[in-house]
Amino acid sequence: MNDPIHGRPHLDAAARLDRRGALLPLLFAGGAALLGGCATARRPAADPAPTAGGETVFCPDGTRTFPNYLLRDQDGREVLFHDDLVRGQVFAATFGYASCKGVCTRIADSMGGASELIAPIMANPVRFYTFSLAEDSPTELRASMKARGLYGRPGWSYLTGPAETVRSIRWAFGFADPDEEADASLAFHTGMARFGNHPIDKWSSCPAMGNPVNIARVIVALFPPSRRPAFPALDFDGGNGARPIPGFRQVPALVAMR
Amino acid sequence: MSLSPSISRRRFFGGTALTTGAFAIHAHAGDNGNTDPPASPDTTPWLQRLPFAKHAVPLPPWAALDPLPIPAAHQRYDEFAPVKFYNMNVCEGLTRPHPQLASSVVTTYQGSVPGVTFMCRYGEPVLCRINNVLPDVIQGFGSSEIITHVHNGHHASESDGWPGDWFGPGTFKDHHWPNIYAAGDYREGKGTLWYHDHRMDYTAQNTYRGLAGFFLLFDFLDSGDENDPNPDALRLPSGVPDGDRIERCYDIPLVITDRRYDRNGYLTMDVMNMDGVLGDKHLVNGAVQPFFEVERRKYRFRLLAGGPSRFQQLFLSNGMTFKHIANDGNLLPRPRDTDSVYLGVAERADIVVDFSQLPASTRELYLVNRLDQTDPRKPEDELLPWEEAIQLLKFIVKPATGVPDPSRVPEILRPLPDMDTPVVRTREWRFDRSNGMWTVNGRLFDHDRVDAVFRRGTAEIWRISTSGGWAHPVHMHVEEQRVLTYNRVPVTSGPLFARKDVFTLKPGDEMEIYVRFRDWLGRYPMHCHNTVHEDHAMMVRFDVVP
Repeated sequence: MNDPIHGRPHLDAAARLDRRGALLPLLFAGGAALLGGCATARRPAADPAPTAGGETVFCPDGTRTFPNYLLRDQDGREVLFHDDLVRGQVFAATFGYASCKGVCTRIADSMGGASELIAPIMANPVRFYTFSLAEDSPTELRASMKARGLYGRPGWSYLTGPAETVRSIRWAFGFADPDEEADASLAFHTGMARFGNHPIDKWSSCPAMGNPVNIARVIVALFPPSRRPAFPALDFDGGNGARPIPGFRQVPALVAMR
Repeated sequence: MSLSPSISRRRFFGGTALTTGAFAIHAHAGDNGNTDPPASPDTTPWLQRLPFAKHAVPLPPWAALDPLPIPAAHQRYDEFAPVKFYNMNVCEGLTRPHPQLASSVVTTYQGSVPGVTFMCRYGEPVLCRINNVLPDVIQGFGSSEIITHVHNGHHASESDGWPGDWFGPGTFKDHHWPNIYAAGDYREGKGTLWYHDHRMDYTAQNTYRGLAGFFLLFDFLDSGDENDPNPDALRLPSGVPDGDRIERCYDIPLVITDRRYDRNGYLTMDVMNMDGVLGDKHLVNGAVQPFFEVERRKYRFRLLAGGPSRFQQLFLSNGMTFKHIANDGNLLPRPRDTDSVYLGVAERADIVVDFSQLPASTRELYLVNRLDQTDPRKPEDELLPWEEAIQLLKFIVKPATGVPDPSRVPEILRPLPDMDTPVVRTREWRFDRSNGMWTVNGRLFDHDRVDAVFRRGTAEIWRISTSGGWAHPVHMHVEEQRVLTYNRVPVTSGPLFARKDVFTLKPGDEMEIYVRFRDWLGRYPMHCHNTVHEDHAMMVRFDVVP
């Protein structure tokens, strides 16, 4: 399937993960040297990741960057934060933990509702990530997703890793409380979602426990207007009074000489 | 007093940006995970003149918009039939805020940052067509979808810039700006307004990228002519610069903003910070630390804290007093002698500075911000020492010429309107935070949910408050209101004894406001004007109904 943003073949994270999962047994059978080479190419050699939380990482252009933290998903598969979850992806990211009965339930309801509204673009290209704040095991993540009716839904991943790693991811997405106690508290964990269209460096955020229609609108707005999937259910009542400019031709973007 | 060039205190004492390689910079967080991005390159102050936007130019009388406007799309269009028509493009452009910085791609109103200045008069209704001719894809921060709000405009809902009324490239929207007094009362007249983008979820990004400009309103009282023969005219210093045409211009709009640039000098924005965005470069009218030559006479300065998150307390560097004549662009009943004005984000202050009072030996003077703010959540309570004040603009005072100054600042400016509409109810609005989310009354903004139904022509008391460690400049659309009490103390004098559209709450503050909405119907927002908070749902919808 073509990437709706670039028009080139698109390989979403899940597909890549699945492919790697399928390849791994072959690699084991084929020899350790090949595995090592593959692992080296995929892992920390090019990894600018800090091993602990407490740092925000910026690119030289002043935007935030995302280290290649190693995580696991609900099925126990290894996932690299930057390479698999961020790079080239259009996604929504929330935070929670498996046994949460409060905020997470509302987040699951709202995000679940939003995913149904944009079902045709779920998984490809839009992906939903939830990062565990409590070092949940994949088994616990899987059980939680099943309890909330999210397991097996296209495009959904529940990810876990060391608490400091997840804290760094949370901070990288801008979800930090100035009160250290509140920041570390599971009971008051963030209800915000971070939305990103990484190829065009487009970022926004809104509450993850609000009206699913609003969440879905924010996600769809990540796409450039001319390449935006149409969902009549998301239209505003009464329109906005705008009309087409006669004879308008699309304008190329200006590029500053660097 | 001569001050050293502006220094970012955080750059020296706070942020410890460490380059760990060619590809990433690790900035240690302070007491939370949000910290400053890398510092902007050094720049030498006072290398460039203060720039001014050109005036918006209406269509000539023989020209017509194509296609024609649709009167039925607007409330009371025929009653306030436009006499001027504007056709304005929102397009990309390049701007270089300082000779030692690069030219960055920005979003502009009619190719200008700040946007072209609208010069309007009461009794002269306007129709402005805003064409979105942006590219489909804006790489990085900012959206190619827009909606324009005239801040403090008394406009019908469909022309007010409701955040959900955004429109994309290749489309236009007509805005009917009737330029009428609220309830027909000249005491409701406004002067210094500004217009900016209001696209839901992207207001901070779009305004940061350039979408803001001045919108000035004049009437028989504040006529914009210091030689006005009308005995009712105030004859305040007049003459608004029109681009490079600054001769005999003594009415000076100044939008004060802060921005950050990457190591190559390009505009950058940390869109991930939920608390707000602070820059380490201070701009006036889009230029980093410019200078402005002044004559030894009176000048009117229209000061605007352009945000997105920085508060200001503005002084002149020699500590001299000046006349504070308008709050939020609304003339005060009487001028105030003061040595500073405090501005929350989006607040305005009109002041008159009399440079003829300076000693002949004074050749330089600075407009400075002494409010200490290294945290986008709020400013500190204490002022910076003079030697650490942020220098914004250098005045170069020319020698006396003997040319008379016909302008004046009368003791009576614009009387306050009566608060004679009976109050029908009281509402509470608590600006707060819950689970890391910005809330009002514990709720998140929902475009489709009406949070208050207001009957047109009635009056209510709105009690707004905040808690925690955040400051919120709360903005109400469509009509200014009056502060009755501030932290339970009746307001009977001072800068708050005025008509206001931004109500700046510091942590723990509470205000009681006398609220009226007249003339227009429809949906309007009230929101925090730290636009990062606004974009993250710190907004409510109120509908004005018959």
